[in-house]
Amino acid sequence: MRPHSPEPGVLAGEPAIVAGFTASSRRRAGPGWEPYLYLLPGVVVFTLFVVIPIVAALAISLTAWNGISWDTATFVGIDNYIQAFEEPRFWTALWHNLILIPYFVILPTILGLAPAALVHQMKLRGAALFQAGLFLPYIMPGVLIGVVWRWMLNPIFGPVNSVLEDIGFDPPTWLADFTWALPTIGFIGAWAAYGFCYVVLVAGIQKIPVDLYDAARLDGANGWQEFTAVTLPGLRREIAVVLTVNLINALRAFDVVKATTDGGPGDSTTVLALFMMNSLDGNRAGYAIAIALFLAVVTLVLSLAVLKLFGDRDD
Amino acid sequence: MIKRGLAYAVLVLGCLIAIVPFAITTLASLKTMPEIVQDVLALPATPAWGNYAEAWEQGRFSRFFLNSTVVAIAVVIPSVVFSSMTGYAFARFRFRGSNAIFGYLLLGMVVPLQAMVVPLFYLLRELNMLDSLWALILPQIALSMSFGTLLMRQTFASVPKDIVEASVLDGASSWQILWQVMFPLSRPLIGTLGLLFFIWTWNEFLLPLVVNIDPDYHTLPVGLLYFQQRWTSNMPLIAAGATIIFVPLILIFMMFQKQLIRGLTEGALKG
Repeated sequence: MRPHSPEPGVLAGEPAIVAGFTASSRRRAGPGWEPYLYLLPGVVVFTLFVVIPIVAALAISLTAWNGISWDTATFVGIDNYIQAFEEPRFWTALWHNLILIPYFVILPTILGLAPAALVHQMKLRGAALFQAGLFLPYIMPGVLIGVVWRWMLNPIFGPVNSVLEDIGFDPPTWLADFTWALPTIGFIGAWAAYGFCYVVLVAGIQKIPVDLYDAARLDGANGWQEFTAVTLPGLRREIAVVLTVNLINALRAFDVVKATTDGGPGDSTTVLALFMMNSLDGNRAGYAIAIALFLAVVTLVLSLAVLKLFGDRDD
Repeated sequence: MIKRGLAYAVLVLGCLIAIVPFAITTLASLKTMPEIVQDVLALPATPAWGNYAEAWEQGRFSRFFLNSTVVAIAVVIPSVVFSSMTGYAFARFRFRGSNAIFGYLLLGMVVPLQAMVVPLFYLLRELNMLDSLWALILPQIALSMSFGTLLMRQTFASVPKDIVEASVLDGASSWQILWQVMFPLSRPLIGTLGLLFFIWTWNEFLLPLVVNIDPDYHTLPVGLLYFQQRWTSNMPLIAAGATIIFVPLILIFMMFQKQLIRGLTEGALKG
């Protein structure tokens, strides 16, 4: 998925102004129209296929429209939003996203942090190989992850249940089970993300000055104290990033759900993005877009909150 | 020493859990359905390569593969070229409205595709582009501009200014400086950018799902989804289809591992 950010650049430590090249060109009486020519192709494509859809989304969300002829569009104000808020299935779908958060966000962060802290600043043989192995699921398309796990967890001939049955368990039907389906999707999300978390966090740990650890040890800190006093504060930025990326994935979850359960059984795994896509079928374009915009705003607000809570902007 | 052993054990376990599902899927793709039912983890008597032929021909994976490849190339190259140009404009020139235009281009990182995809469908319908590869190519070039501009501005801004000054003195035009000086100097980062664009395009699912109904214009992820729905209980075939998608990704990953991991994690830090 393309990266999304509530505040692009904040975490990158971007230079505020671009130094260097401008001096010489300024001396030649300003660059004139040249920079605009460089911007032209990118800005035109971007305006056509990103900005116009965004503006159209805002506009359509305020209309009742059958999605076919523009003549049928009537301005209804915030009716679509109100309709969504009055629809119990809308809240159920949002609730499902919230249930996914511990699985998509917290679980993989812990699963990545623990080995990262353990590996710490050890020089391990094959460290790059481990990183590659752990990172692999993260580059795979969500649909593929869904298809692979649907087959892994197939209750009749999937490998997971056949192994569990062999060692004497009586496993549930996972994705086909009303109680288990959503947590199972959660676990799949955690599986897809923990390697990414590990790689980001282990890189962060390597940037923490060794002196800090030496000082902590001189002060008589044990391993756990070292972890809470040096490692965790030193990783603030990386943890903020990992949490934000995972949170965005939890709130926007779509591909994996579509490929594993398509919202079922019943409505038990219908997340908001899926609910939005399904309501499109009823020719209610404005309504569907209102839900999508609501989701975008919720995502933005929550991820800004996480960044604010954990992000260390002083450096 | 114990701690070291524990670290290795944890990492090996973590890697296994990450990789085994793919390995078992590939294993299943080489078996027959009765072999899977009998013992899912056993090796097949003889590898059933026929599953691949069937997925490739009847399952139309040949078509999806071709579409995915064409779209990926047609998105990556213009995206890299255009974002080099926008990044260069911001890094090299100071001009009226530069901050506003820069902010404008970053809009694409704040608003998710999910919020744009429905209006995009209607826009593409107006342009008569639904059910064509254009419907996948043009929007994805546009979606690449935000991240691309951000990265290329930073990259070009870090090229030592002496080099640029020297080329100016040599009488190079700004166009020549971009393509003959800056671009080659920034090759590693441009390579990473191209790789990221490639992965994002190859994996894109929502856009093709919405804008192309005709299976002739499906890419691999959407093709796999419908394939799974159609052959629900033919595991070997689904497994073969899945393997066709992830093998190229694994190969690219193995070739450019370092760049990709760095790009994706730093991309996340940036994005």
